[in-house]
Amino acid sequence: MAAAGALAAPGQLNLTESPYWGSRSVDCFEKLEQIGEGTYGKDAFFYLVRVDFELGGFSQVYMAREIKTGEIVALKKIRMDNEREGFPITAIREIKILKKLHHENVIKLKEIVTSQGPEKDDQGKQDDNKYKGGIYMVFEYMDHDLTGLADRPGIRFSVPQIKCYMRQLLTGLHYCHINQVLHRDIKGSNLLIDNEGNLKLADFGLARSFSNEHQSNLTNRVITLWYRPPELLLGSTKYGPAVDMWSVGCIFAELLHGKPIFPGKDEPEQLNKIFELCGAPDESNWPGVSKIPWYNNFKPTRPMKRRLREVFRHFDRHALELLERMLALDPLQRISAKDALDAEYFWTDPPPCDPKSLPKYESSHEFQTKKKRQQQRQHEENAKRQKLQHPQPHSRLPPIQQSGPRPQMRTGPNQPMHSSQPPVGGPGHYGRPRGPAGGPGRYPQSGTSGGYNHPSHGGQGGGGYGSGPYPPQGRAPPYPSGGMPGGAPRGGAGSGYGVGGPNYPQGGPYGGSGAGRGSNMMGGNRNQQYGWQQ
Amino acid sequence: MAANFWTSSHYKQLFDQEEVDVVHPLDKEKGITLEDFKLIKMHMANYIGKLAQQVKVRQRVVATAVAYMRRVYTRKSMSEYDPRLVAPTCLYLASKAEESTVQARLLPFFIKKLYSDDKYRYEIKEILEMEMKILEALNYYLVVFHPYRSLPQFLQDAGINDITMIQLTWGLVNDTYRMDLILIHPPHLIALACIYIASAYREKDTTAWFEELRVDMNVVKNISMEILDFYESHRLITDEKVTAAFNKLKP
Repeated sequence: MAAAGALAAPGQLNLTESPYWGSRSVDCFEKLEQIGEGTYGKDAFFYLVRVDFELGGFSQVYMAREIKTGEIVALKKIRMDNEREGFPITAIREIKILKKLHHENVIKLKEIVTSQGPEKDDQGKQDDNKYKGGIYMVFEYMDHDLTGLADRPGIRFSVPQIKCYMRQLLTGLHYCHINQVLHRDIKGSNLLIDNEGNLKLADFGLARSFSNEHQSNLTNRVITLWYRPPELLLGSTKYGPAVDMWSVGCIFAELLHGKPIFPGKDEPEQLNKIFELCGAPDESNWPGVSKIPWYNNFKPTRPMKRRLREVFRHFDRHALELLERMLALDPLQRISAKDALDAEYFWTDPPPCDPKSLPKYESSHEFQTKKKRQQQRQHEENAKRQKLQHPQPHSRLPPIQQSGPRPQMRTGPNQPMHSSQPPVGGPGHYGRPRGPAGGPGRYPQSGTSGGYNHPSHGGQGGGGYGSGPYPPQGRAPPYPSGGMPGGAPRGGAGSGYGVGGPNYPQGGPYGGSGAGRGSNMMGGNRNQQYGWQQ
Repeated sequence: MAANFWTSSHYKQLFDQEEVDVVHPLDKEKGITLEDFKLIKMHMANYIGKLAQQVKVRQRVVATAVAYMRRVYTRKSMSEYDPRLVAPTCLYLASKAEESTVQARLLPFFIKKLYSDDKYRYEIKEILEMEMKILEALNYYLVVFHPYRSLPQFLQDAGINDITMIQLTWGLVNDTYRMDLILIHPPHLIALACIYIASAYREKDTTAWFEELRVDMNVVKNISMEILDFYESHRLITDEKVTAAFNKLKP
């Protein structure tokens, strides 16, 4: 009955095996690069391997190599800032949830390690509390996040590719929901993608268990603003899996549309944008809406019709049908992840492709692209100083043809700086405006990657992957999991484990192109803010 | 089902009785016997229950805290991890894990109220430090499944709706935390054993119902015997014995 084999007898812990109890030291890992950052403020991380630039945000997620196995992992530091209440309840939630979820579309928490930091206390004495150094969650490493990938120049996802990502997203989310976990922060940068085309939900830092039977009050201050559903914006504190489905709808529309559909800069504007597209809620289309706390404060003064079908009339019919049901104002009418997986969309031609047939991309994460922007700025300043600003022909990349409402291509040198290699990468193409000009970024836009070693299909992006060798085989569970990519390039790094940095400085030459993808008014310290009523 | 027990870390971490009944070498050196070991753990389970009443948390928090405490002592010695510190810390940690938080600063206050003995006195700082050690000892596995969860369904299914019988069963389940059962057996079998005892005690015939369940009745009966044995021996436990055991640890 007991899995005795896996347990070392007391006092005989075999350190060469994966520890069954007691955590290893972070010294088992070699830090390679900072790959993400948290929302957190003040303390610089003392054993940062390299700090290329002084950034506004601070390091939280690292890429590391396990010294013994050589395996690349992501380390996410657990912040211990509320000293009065010990180990943060938010971390407890995240760990509990991650330890109970085992699915190919959910990020895997490999272990938790501690670091014996050489931190000194005020008297300059070595502190003997080993936990002062830090506690890290060790995750499998993923090459990309969806936002980082989608924002790359020259990348346009094909229909089978979008179907493939959407289906994996829904499969992972359905798994969370049947396990009674709400993710509560579904957005592109939290959807990690490896070079095998596998998509995994990550960052369960705001996730929570829920109960179907007795609904308790939950905080409505979750989910990045642009992906936040109307019921939360209207102040509802009793909600369920439908909140995540709204975010999925926003991502789906974004993939099809090419840019975020509700880029509000604050809550009122967010609601307004939703109402403009989805119509204003009233008792007829959303029974009970008038009883939601802030309904009367936000109720629109003029009648607003639902224009979703009209605005997105160019979408595929089945896609539009599914989107309609995901972006239902009334959470009770919103489609569930399970039903969405059964939608015609996934079962009509072209079918979702096999993840493995997807192209392999050079690593791209929003954090890196930030770094690249910093480099870009330096580069420009240097250029200015040297008065060498002349347009250079683009050598390796086709010029980016951004259509539609994406003006403001960088006018600076927007070609790769060939000397600079991954993982840092060269300044590439910058500044697709995302969101409000200069608005407080919950996290900065994912700029675009440097131009190095770009997939050969260039401008057409995923156009050609077509309907890969993946026949629809009845409505069976999707493809088996892929495991870790083998020899795929593993430059760069992953974020998306972390939370975005608030108020990331976006100024300087980037002007209006700064901005986050959805300013989240709750700002950074969610650990502190959400200690209660989650 | 939320976090199915069979796929959970709890299931994978079930122990054999022999593994649980190992007195840590450091404790052995101090003369702690297996009986002392069990006695101290039982006393600590009681302590957690009393403290929980003071800070007003649900029974489920108590159950989780006791399970943590018992798991800790499958790995750590009482000499290094003073039970009088581990017990309140487990309650504190469980209160977070079970979403029923207790402020750390309340603990020293109520501990003092319960025990005037200085050996029980610990400060917030010490509790918070121990919390980290416990998390590590538990390898951050914080989910514990309890018999409480399946109990109502079983009772209903067995057609037991007599309130005194229901209360008796719940009481029995509460008492199982004075033993190591939660480390050894799947929780639903513990629930069944409690129903089995309650039925025998109240002379309610549930034989047919049990027969239809596809569970190993031998295990259920063995658990029941263990519970009954515990009640039997419990009567012989005196405060002096508990004190004597503690004195071996820290004279």
